[in-house]
Amino acid sequence: RLSRRRMAQEARSLLRCRRAGIPAPAVYFVDYVTNSIYLEDIVDSVTVQDHIYSVQKSGKDPSGFHELAEKMGELLARMHDEDIIHGDLTTANLLLRPPTEKLDLVLIDFGLSFISGLPEDKGVDLYVLEKAFISTHPDTETMFQTLLKTYAATSKKSGPVIKKLDEVRLRGRKRSMIG
Amino acid sequence: MERTHRLELFPDRSVTLLLFQHVKNAAALRRKAMEGSIDGALINPAMIVDPFQILVAANKAVHLQKIGKMKTRTLYAEIIFSLSPSNNISDAFKKFGISDSDTAVLIVLVVDGDKTVNLADIASQVEGQQVSLDELSQLTDTAKVKKMYKVTPQEEKIGTLLDSVVCRMSTKDVL
Repeated sequence: RLSRRRMAQEARSLLRCRRAGIPAPAVYFVDYVTNSIYLEDIVDSVTVQDHIYSVQKSGKDPSGFHELAEKMGELLARMHDEDIIHGDLTTANLLLRPPTEKLDLVLIDFGLSFISGLPEDKGVDLYVLEKAFISTHPDTETMFQTLLKTYAATSKKSGPVIKKLDEVRLRGRKRSMIG
Repeated sequence: MERTHRLELFPDRSVTLLLFQHVKNAAALRRKAMEGSIDGALINPAMIVDPFQILVAANKAVHLQKIGKMKTRTLYAEIIFSLSPSNNISDAFKKFGISDSDTAVLIVLVVDGDKTVNLADIASQVEGQQVSLDELSQLTDTAKVKKMYKVTPQEEKIGTLLDSVVCRMSTKDVL
């Protein structure tokens, strides 16, 4: 359930993603009465969050995370190049389609998303994900580093964004939570 | 041969689809539809990728009818309008409704709950052969659909044509 404006933003971001070839759920129906959006159900998907948990728990070779991090970096770079700010990047908002090994990512939950070309907004978007990584997934420092490296290599506009990310990191949490 | 689905969000309504080929009286049918003497939506199957596309349109039309916010005057006109990615009503009819020279027609009926649909009545008005909905994909003009809905090549990589079409249909009034 979302407010009307947020709902419109979410629907617009989803369509914008899809048109640019960024994997996001398809929109089936927008209900302005109950302010709800009916989306494609990504059947049998696993969140990246759960995937990381289960791989770590099983003690299997986590070098698999390297490729996952690269794919995430690439996906986010493409999204930001379309000036789409997700607004709530966490590993729970990234799904892996079955079979998991294919690392076929889908971005979900665009309820806080908006359109912006500002490096500051993109930097904050990445910062939110970094914080989520640190708090949710211990022992994954290299993963985020790999993600950023691939992001920088993929995105045509990454220079100023990484710079802003560094600034935001220095500023700390409170100043970066822009409502 | 025909297919009936209950609308998941509006279980008090059923949608029935009938497909006809080798239709000889498209012009007369179109006139009847415009007069309102045929109780159904007459749609050009070349623009339809999958029955789900019709269900999405019907769902939206029924929703708008229930809240009194239809853009057109009848439920069947609203279904045709909902199929279109544009907000221009007459354009929707031109592209998604049938034209006089069409030889295939898709008829969509919406009925309340368990009311029986008089299919024979509708079918008897069509001078053509009723075929299974399985034939629909053969009648789809994919190139035309892609052009109509402005599907990008990148988009085709992340989903089906049906996904792209349905996305446009459902978000056209939010953009």
